[in-house]
Amino acid sequence: MSDRPDLLPGRFPDFDEDAYLRLYPDIAEAVRSGKSKSGAEHYQRYGKAEGRHYLGRSDRWTEVRIGPTAGFGTAGPAVPRHAVEALLLSEDGRVFITGWVDDATIPLASLRLEGRGWVLSVRAEALARHARADVQAALGVAERRAFGFFGLLSAGVPLAASAECRCILEWAGGQQAAVTAPVRASTARDLRETVLGFLAGTGGGGAQIQAMLALDGSVGEQIIALNRAVTSAITAAPFVERFGPQARTHRGSIIVCLYGRPEYMFVQNALFAGKPGIEDYEFVYVCNSPELLDRLLKEARSSALIYGLAQTVVGLPANAGFGAANNLAAAHARSPRLLCVNPDVFPKDTGWAARHTAILGAGGPGARLFGSTLYYDDGSLMHGGMYLELDTGLAIRPSGIETRRFARVEHYGKGAPPDTAAFLRPRPVPAVSGAFISVDRNWFEALGGFAEDYVFGHYEDADLCLRSLQGGWPAWVQDLQLWHLEGRGSVRRPVHEGASLVNRWHFSRAWADSIAADLCGPAPERDLMPAQLSEMAA
Amino acid sequence: MRQQRVLLVSVHHPELVRGGAQQVCYELFEGLKAHPGFQPTLLAAIDDSTPALFRSGARITGFDGRPDEHLFLMRDYDHFWHKTSDPLLIESFAEFLTLTRPDIVHFHHFMNVGVDLLTLTRRVLPEARIVFTFHEFLAICHAYGQMVRTVDRSLCSQASAVRCHQCFPDRAPETFFVRKQWFQEHLGAVDVFTVPSRFMSRAYTDWGIPPERIVHVTNGQRNYGAIHTGTGISGPRNRFGFFGQLVDGKGVTVLLRAAELLRAQGFTDFAVEINGDNLRYASEAGRAEFERFRAAEEALPPEQQNVVFNGPYQVDRLPRLMSRVDWCVVPSVWWEIFGLVISEAWMFRRPVIASDVGGMAERVQHEVGGLLFPMGDARALAATMHRACTEIGLWDRLAAGLPEPPTRETMVDRFAEVYRGAPVPRPSAREAVAAAAL
Repeated sequence: MSDRPDLLPGRFPDFDEDAYLRLYPDIAEAVRSGKSKSGAEHYQRYGKAEGRHYLGRSDRWTEVRIGPTAGFGTAGPAVPRHAVEALLLSEDGRVFITGWVDDATIPLASLRLEGRGWVLSVRAEALARHARADVQAALGVAERRAFGFFGLLSAGVPLAASAECRCILEWAGGQQAAVTAPVRASTARDLRETVLGFLAGTGGGGAQIQAMLALDGSVGEQIIALNRAVTSAITAAPFVERFGPQARTHRGSIIVCLYGRPEYMFVQNALFAGKPGIEDYEFVYVCNSPELLDRLLKEARSSALIYGLAQTVVGLPANAGFGAANNLAAAHARSPRLLCVNPDVFPKDTGWAARHTAILGAGGPGARLFGSTLYYDDGSLMHGGMYLELDTGLAIRPSGIETRRFARVEHYGKGAPPDTAAFLRPRPVPAVSGAFISVDRNWFEALGGFAEDYVFGHYEDADLCLRSLQGGWPAWVQDLQLWHLEGRGSVRRPVHEGASLVNRWHFSRAWADSIAADLCGPAPERDLMPAQLSEMAA
Repeated sequence: MRQQRVLLVSVHHPELVRGGAQQVCYELFEGLKAHPGFQPTLLAAIDDSTPALFRSGARITGFDGRPDEHLFLMRDYDHFWHKTSDPLLIESFAEFLTLTRPDIVHFHHFMNVGVDLLTLTRRVLPEARIVFTFHEFLAICHAYGQMVRTVDRSLCSQASAVRCHQCFPDRAPETFFVRKQWFQEHLGAVDVFTVPSRFMSRAYTDWGIPPERIVHVTNGQRNYGAIHTGTGISGPRNRFGFFGQLVDGKGVTVLLRAAELLRAQGFTDFAVEINGDNLRYASEAGRAEFERFRAAEEALPPEQQNVVFNGPYQVDRLPRLMSRVDWCVVPSVWWEIFGLVISEAWMFRRPVIASDVGGMAERVQHEVGGLLFPMGDARALAATMHRACTEIGLWDRLAAGLPEPPTRETMVDRFAEVYRGAPVPRPSAREAVAAAAL
């Protein structure tokens, strides 16, 4: 929360009086007793000098104060039924809170948390709401309502731990209630797991759209911020060891992000190693499963002997996710070409490496960033490029039906016969699957690499391709022919379902307008081969 | 002419674990030692069934003071992918290859050794000739290489990702797709494959091995003793012997059930002798059935016992054990690749009663040198045994029609041809397997 340097007496229409008084009960009392005229006057005369926060109406939802806590008034009559069920505090000053409230007639207005030496306030709009069948049943309410709430708040600084926390709920009618809830200490990483798992639970039973809409308030952004903090910590000090021949330079670096399935490393080594032209490439494996690192180092050592491949293993203390892990691996790659490859991708065509090298040699618009035809193990086509679709999501609110466009990524030719020429033809496409992306390293770096906002992994590939398209270079699909077992490269847990909700919400927020404009459907209106690229191709 | 150095890599050492593959490998080792053109070395894998032979820090050791015999002390072995995860073992194997510099590396199975060591061998010894002998279908079939479906114990004629998944529902179909690729990749390092029976080469050709790379070499054995011309008795030929491992695939329980059926029908003038080991490798159900029968049998008064359990045996005891039976029963409930016990029965001029599939049907000519019965059919086996006990002249007629068992010398000469065969164009070997697979 930043101060406003241009604040002048009487000229701060943006000042949020209510929020200021809610955040600072001592000032509220001073105003009530007439010691101060208003919160704004207090801020101008004293608050700014005391380091109290300026609160503008356009500011973020969450309000923070670090300092001694004041007493709190008693609850008024007719307090709606409510409960605070869990409260987690991470070491970096984030709080996850969940509970329920029956506020159909009197809306919840705000929530304030008072810990040891700190106060966190949040407007009710910033909380995510979700249906609670158990509460509905317990209260004997016939109508399905979003009784449940949860929020992820961040102070931005570590907060003093305490066994309990006072949670003050305030309703629009002025009612207040205080609940003392136990505080469970958590690491930021565990907090991420908890929040995502919780989110996944709210999105069950066909409620995914509602779960994504619930992210709007501030929870979605807070989860992304939390994920970035966790990811940064995970990737800060990786363990790196290299195996096999190290002296030579390579034409390309095959980057593989491993999670949960160690066998894919040695199988992939074996199946790539036996193909002509592979000697021009090095492998960079990122281990997102620390419990597997020792095993993977052994496998890499064995593989160096058996296959003679140049190989680098980058070990991480936890799952950094697809984007961050690939970006980190790219930093350890030693070639001008990056091939991001899923662990469950294997060569179908023995000459794939030579073909890949030939595409690079030919240059042109189809060489800067491209994917490959991918095949299921049953022989059918799995991927011939990707296109984008929009779905309309509906959420039933007390105020009516709310609609929202959510982006969806589809594969050209999924399940098609393997020789369907329309999908095998080299061509520009809106996006390609991250199961195999070959990209010029300089271009990759110019784009800023994979976005690290996506949690664990999903949509980074389409996001990268759309940014490349924005930069004037559409992704291409080339017919290199690789197997892709899809979805078997890692073990899927409930937190991944929660991450999927966040990722789709975020991807839609970033790209739905562009897609709606001229990129929607398998035959988008936008010309993916503008004149200058066509000339280059010619 | 310089002797060619042959490294024989064996799934087990037959002195430690009984089994056909290791027995054949050891026969070949002994035969090559006597051959002027070859200088063999044996490297036999051992697993944790013989922990006393593991030396601290050692990966390869000698064996019991025997010249040119070594043990490969396998550990951290993955029985799905058939590889070790211990790089020290890989390094030791590579070093062993470098030290011994064999001209020929002949693998008898990849189990307990690691199929990826085929690729390693090619890399360490690019000029060596790599020969691989299939002893069953483990490259094709995860179900102990027997091509017997776990769902209903029926014989499997063709593996596929979905069919294998049906046998192992906890593994996804694509896992078996990748498994096949993995095996084919490493088998691509092999110059020549050998199979002991012809039907086997068809299975591997269908699976993707180029037919021109598969050579039929019959399993041979040394003569274990003077051929018995008779048992010294003139009564009915009513003594049946089972020789082999007591694992499910060998079908010993089919024989036990047949014995029960005969008794239930009131026919008791027969004897069955069970000779074998490795019941610990049988399934829980198979082991339980065997133990149940044995306990009940041994609880009977001696004069009512029809089945005798002699326990494990070494081949030097075969003359004595074979002299106690008239017929050798081979009731295997899988394809039974070759059936060394058939050769052993022939060696002692004992007609064979065998299941009518695979290597047994290929080798035993029905009504000429033996009798076949429908695989797994205890009632049919009981009927065949009853006929064997009661039909006058049957035993003499079949004994007279027995072929001579393949000798060790025959096998060694045939492998010598394989070892000295035309060089295989290396780059295409691996590709041929891969291409045939697609």
